Amino acid sequence: MVLEAGLAGVAKQAEQLRLDGNYYFSKDRYGAAIDAYTEAITLCPNVPIYWTNRALCHLKRNDWTKVEADCRKAIQLDHDSVKGHYLLGLTLLQRNEYAEGIKELEKALNLGRGAKPKGYIVEDIWQELARAKYLLWEQESSKRSWELQSLKEACEAALEEKHVLDISIKEGFLDEASSTHLKQMEALRQVFRKAAEDDTPAEVPDYLCCKITLDIFQDPVITPSGVTYERAVILDHLDKVGKFDPITREPLRESQLVPNLAIKEAVRAYMDKHGWAYKAS
Amino acid sequence: ALNLGRGAKPKGYIVEDIWQELARAKYLLWEQESSKRSWELQSLKEACEAALEEKHVLDISRKEGFLDEASSTHLKQMEALRQVFRKAAEDDTPAEVPDYLCCKITLDIFRDPVITPSGVTYERAVILDHLDKVGKFDPITREPLRESQLVPNLAIKEAVRAYMDKHGWAYKAS
Repeated sequence: MVLEAGLAGVAKQAEQLRLDGNYYFSKDRYGAAIDAYTEAITLCPNVPIYWTNRALCHLKRNDWTKVEADCRKAIQLDHDSVKGHYLLGLTLLQRNEYAEGIKELEKALNLGRGAKPKGYIVEDIWQELARAKYLLWEQESSKRSWELQSLKEACEAALEEKHVLDISIKEGFLDEASSTHLKQMEALRQVFRKAAEDDTPAEVPDYLCCKITLDIFQDPVITPSGVTYERAVILDHLDKVGKFDPITREPLRESQLVPNLAIKEAVRAYMDKHGWAYKAS
Repeated sequence: ALNLGRGAKPKGYIVEDIWQELARAKYLLWEQESSKRSWELQSLKEACEAALEEKHVLDISRKEGFLDEASSTHLKQMEALRQVFRKAAEDDTPAEVPDYLCCKITLDIFRDPVITPSGVTYERAVILDHLDKVGKFDPITREPLRESQLVPNLAIKEAVRAYMDKHGWAYKAS
């Protein structure tokens, strides 16, 4: 009984320290915040949020080693810690470990979306994830681009040499040989253009974009009229403009919105194939 | 004919007949056009390979002592070239139609996709048949489901149309 009361008292103290830390954090006094969270941790070392709060302070001070240590501890205590995975992801990205960082951010995003879809942190995680995916794509596609360019130039050079040899051998069929050669070179350019197609920024297909924002879907929902919108945007419309479908103008309530899982999957597949699409998001 | 028929009576046999004929015609047209593309690509590929081979032979006859490196580079280059031509022929190469464009029950590409309140998309005729003969519930989530709750998944319908425009071979399975 006494022990329980004692523990309860300690927990209460730790909570107060957390609130103190939050206050200092809000005033940009990160050192003070760190001290407060550290005391809370000393009192109650198994509360994940104390670790992630401290990790966030370290992040503000670009103390990445400490960010990593604290959020790994938080994840150890709670495998489903959204902030834990998010901050770990940012740390890995900082070290240019794009693939690993992206994995952590995706985990954070899925956990965050499950918990509280409209929380601000989900939007932040999405932004960071899109940015990371874009950078990864940029890195990989530059390499592919360069390799394709080298190969294309080698082929063009080889075909040119062969053509020069051919016309020096044949007499009298020069025009035909040259015309054939030009067509061949154009066809070759087309082939290389096609080979580079996935990496070449283009217009995202209409059916993958919200009809209101014209941006690629993040969380598509379909209305009873069969039209698909971005969830946040249609909710905003229902809230601020009126309870009707923006395009068909039929009556529409929030409860009637259905997640368009097939389109969501289509968007994921499209972005996997065309990494440049992460820029617009 | 197909659009008019579907509007009139979605489960009518004539709609099925029209669809079969239309799919067959689109497939034959694709086969014809893709054969031509395929032949042109093959010719170009062989011309490039021949030209690169000749250049390689000339190169190694000039350089002495760097044979292994030159040959290894040459082999890599030929493999890279094959990849490029494979990529250029990709649209015409039959492959697996993406899951999200196929009915979860029949595993065939959608013709008239409808979505249920659980967010799952089915082929209209198939889900109607299920509701009629098996029971008034979503086959996958098992939540209660009535015909009136089915919504046409217009975005997926558009996605299927775009996919088949690009990959004419997909008309065969339908």
